[in-house]
Amino acid sequence: MKQNLVFLLLLLMSIILAACGKSSSAPSGGANADGSIDKFVYASTADVAGLSPILTNDSISANVQEHVYETLFNRNSETGEITPKLAESYENTDENTWMIKLRKDVKFHDGTPFNAEAVKYTFDKLRDPATAAPRASLLEPVDEINVINEYEIKIKTKYPYGPFLASLAHTNAAIVSPTADKKQDLMKEPVGTGPFKFVSYTPGDEVVLEANDEYRDGTPAIQQLVFKVVPEVSTAISMLQTGEVDFIDNLPSEQISRIDSLKNIDVTKKNGSSIYYLTVNHSIKENQDPELRKAIAAAIDRDAFVSKLNGLGVRSDSVLGPEIFGYEKDKDSAGQAYDPELAKSLVDKNGYSNRPIKLLTANRANFILMAEIVQAQLTEAGFKVQIETMEWAAFLDTARAGEYDITFLSWANLTQDGSEMLYPNLHSDNIKESNRTKYSNKKFDELVDASRETIDQDKRLEYLNQANGLLLEDNAVVVMYHGVVTAAMNNKYEGLILEPNGKWLLKDVKRK
Amino acid sequence: MTTLSNMEEQVTKPKKMESNFISLTKRLLKNKLAVIGLLIIIVQILMAIFAPMVTWHDPIKQNLAQSELPIFSEGHWLGTDNYGRDVWSRIVYGVRISLLVAISSVSLGLVGGLILGLLAGYYKKLDGFLMRIVDLLFAFPGTLLAMLIIAMLGASLVTVTIAISVWSIPACARIVRGSALSIKEKEYIMAMRSLGASDFRIIFKHILPNSFAPIIVFATMRMATAILSTASLSYLGLGAQPPSPEWGAMIAQGQAFMWTSPHLTIVPGIAIMLTVFAFNVVGDGLRDALDPNMDIH
Amino acid sequence: MISLIARRIVELLLLLVGISFLVFSSMYIAPGDPSTMIGGPTATESDLENIRDNLGLNDPFLVQYGRYVKNAVQGDFGYSYQTKQSVSEAIAVRFPNTLKLAIASMIVAIIIGIVTGLISALRHNTWLDATSTTFALAGISIPNFWLGALLILVFAVNLQWLPVGGMDQPLYTWEGIKQLILPAITLGTGSAAMIARMTRSSILEVAKADYIRTARAKGLKEGKVIWIHTLKNAMIPVITVIGLNFGLLLGGTIITEKVFAINGVGRLMIDAIAMRDFPLVQGSVLLVATLFVVVNLVVDIVYTFIDPRINYD
Repeated sequence: MKQNLVFLLLLLMSIILAACGKSSSAPSGGANADGSIDKFVYASTADVAGLSPILTNDSISANVQEHVYETLFNRNSETGEITPKLAESYENTDENTWMIKLRKDVKFHDGTPFNAEAVKYTFDKLRDPATAAPRASLLEPVDEINVINEYEIKIKTKYPYGPFLASLAHTNAAIVSPTADKKQDLMKEPVGTGPFKFVSYTPGDEVVLEANDEYRDGTPAIQQLVFKVVPEVSTAISMLQTGEVDFIDNLPSEQISRIDSLKNIDVTKKNGSSIYYLTVNHSIKENQDPELRKAIAAAIDRDAFVSKLNGLGVRSDSVLGPEIFGYEKDKDSAGQAYDPELAKSLVDKNGYSNRPIKLLTANRANFILMAEIVQAQLTEAGFKVQIETMEWAAFLDTARAGEYDITFLSWANLTQDGSEMLYPNLHSDNIKESNRTKYSNKKFDELVDASRETIDQDKRLEYLNQANGLLLEDNAVVVMYHGVVTAAMNNKYEGLILEPNGKWLLKDVKRK
Repeated sequence: MTTLSNMEEQVTKPKKMESNFISLTKRLLKNKLAVIGLLIIIVQILMAIFAPMVTWHDPIKQNLAQSELPIFSEGHWLGTDNYGRDVWSRIVYGVRISLLVAISSVSLGLVGGLILGLLAGYYKKLDGFLMRIVDLLFAFPGTLLAMLIIAMLGASLVTVTIAISVWSIPACARIVRGSALSIKEKEYIMAMRSLGASDFRIIFKHILPNSFAPIIVFATMRMATAILSTASLSYLGLGAQPPSPEWGAMIAQGQAFMWTSPHLTIVPGIAIMLTVFAFNVVGDGLRDALDPNMDIH
Repeated sequence: MISLIARRIVELLLLLVGISFLVFSSMYIAPGDPSTMIGGPTATESDLENIRDNLGLNDPFLVQYGRYVKNAVQGDFGYSYQTKQSVSEAIAVRFPNTLKLAIASMIVAIIIGIVTGLISALRHNTWLDATSTTFALAGISIPNFWLGALLILVFAVNLQWLPVGGMDQPLYTWEGIKQLILPAITLGTGSAAMIARMTRSSILEVAKADYIRTARAKGLKEGKVIWIHTLKNAMIPVITVIGLNFGLLLGGTIITEKVFAINGVGRLMIDAIAMRDFPLVQGSVLLVATLFVVVNLVVDIVYTFIDPRINYD
């Protein structure tokens, strides 16, 4: 018997030793002498929902679509300014009319020309109720689209719409080839104008693209681009280390130190547009007590929390983060500061400890991290908080139905425009829909409406800043952190474009 | 009626329960592995009961400044997790969860399995129908069944308990039905029936006690499966709710730190393995001690 | 034999109806609407209503179920809500991977299991026996998600002998086989342990039986006695365990596929449940259940060849 135990122990020890041992990286091929790359693999945590920008609305599909399709406008990843992409220029003849001139040198991958007809076709299809496009709301303000000539289009909106250019820069407003759309299913065989052409799609496994050698800025160095599904992040990181994968994004904060220590990997970090915040359910009567919200905000040590993110979060009280149009620096510390004594005294004074609070959270790693830490801190202040985790689908529905006391919400804000954060998430128009906070405040609504219905960008900034201030005064939400976008790439390569909204482009990636 | 009770005495009395138990224990104690398993289980039960006395920290109390301490750190001999919670305390309180879920799910499963099995084994008319239900449950992949139940009822340890008990029903039902069928055909049962004994009486006084041996073995082995399943479901994020110190959830959480703090994964893994191992060897030992020819699979 | 198969097929069909009803109703009751997952967080109520109408989710439960059964009988298992791909196609792409994994695990399990079991039985009551018994029991007790993670850490990341995950190389290449090794060990360990125990106890039991003693008395050599008589008879319960385990393996690939990034049916199932993609959940569950029943049927048929005493009529 003793022998067996010794044996078992030896086995365990060898496993532990091996686990702690030094690791090395294996060389991997894939690069040619002229700087071009035969095959470049990106590991994606999930499969694409589909490859048509019209019929999808998720970041995983957007990653592929960004390389196959292009939008009329683009937000510059450094300056944050919106610049033409497939468009050449634009002009507002009045506040409801957008005259857009298009580039003349662009062709779809199927050889058909890119022109005003294609834009009209795409946008009409996107906003047609029969299409049931998940992101039809991007063009909700559009009244009418007219082709002026081959390379000019006129879009009329129902009301002056401030964030319109930001909407047109959204991946789901990318232009598709009308010929191809009529002939085939773009969800499976996409045809756009982008730097890469579609090759094949194996559901659940991979999407393969190849360099578009007719691309107007020159053929990309990557000859074959593979989007491979690797559901476990740990596995993906190991594959990055062994060279089976060249590139991953969205690095988890708890593994960042591991990735940083890999010698063959370059990590890119950049302040992002996403936000993670705590909200009370404003439709519940007890939560309409301003002192309760004050006590919650005072009980949460956001500095301590952000330090747990290992540099992958930006600490700011402001609901509109540093990368969002509408942000002003003075809002960084305009919220209720961490003050555990104040929280305790408010809890004691108002007897909050008698009420059990349900903290609803999605069962994703970063949400659980927030939930665990906040639960402990609220408990410290005297609240009685119980966590309930849910799968993403059930979570979205439950939060939408308002079946929670407090919860954490997030917003990627791909368009990086403040109205696009405040309107869907906190405006009372959407209280039955995307406004999961159930917040309703007339003064706030007016400010958000004003920010949407003017196209004067200076005024918009002012309205958004005021609306932001109002939320903080009211402790309507407690901002946990603003995201940091991250990517890790094999250090044989360079030229990655990483945008604050988490999008990235590989068209300029080449061998060092 | 006198004849009936006499008969009952004749068939039950000669096997004295106490002496049976003693000889069973003797046989069990000869099996070295089973003894080790038994010791592990006893230690765990003691740990579960006296958890506050053998730990020095609150298992859910965070200390963000002292997170990810390695093994043999001062004050935390098994280190701390990424929230600075004491791993030893979490392991000890985790025993409570594992044992509680396992015991309740196995008992529930037994009740369900007994009812189905006895009815199917005793009443021929019900047999076909009930056994089809059992087949249905059998053909359903276990993890998936649990996932569906959890999708319906929400993730919690209670749901996990229900899911695992449903999952134990078919196997238990088959065993009980098997022994019910074989005993039913015994001459003395036939005789008693002709003497007018009620079905209820026959089932509960004769068939049930005679199914006892395979059931106890099944239950012990099932404890092992239940503990493993609870951990797997929690690992998938479908079971224990944070911050509860469930072992599978601890592994899931620790896995992200596997390269920097491997003990967060390895320690709860060993805890699960030891517990499951203990129940398996005791189950094995019990089977050999009760009846070496018993076939429960 | 033919009547046995015919009866089993009828039973299987009934079983499938039962299972599909269970799955359908549980997905119907579960909170989380498919339209939310398709529409994303920004969708408005009218967007969602549109999507629901489009998928026929506004019809009463029985209408929806009836439609499903009617189509399924005609071989149409519907289309994925998420990818709009046909369910049969989605499964056809992934099934070979799951099958590869299950078969490879079974091979690992049978080889390790029978060899260990034989050694234990032949060296009955020696330290060798004790060691392998202990290992067998430990094998059943290891959580496979944990084992998988440790194997990746040791063999893929630290030693770099084997790839971390994936299953995209053809099986006839060395790379393809290397991809299978770690997942097969992860999934096969539990079964190996069960097979080992069954082999050991079964051989010991048969060895005690009368006809072996007779054979010995007839003067057959020890080696021959063991190999021909004992093994042949001892294999019957072992085959049951193998059959049972193969069914369990098919259902149990879920976690292994997730840990090793294998694009298989198990992962398809979890993702489909999480995304509330009902047609995909249905299709994959039905497939796994059918396989389970078919494997058991095959086991029963194999019996009749090994052991002519068994008669199924």
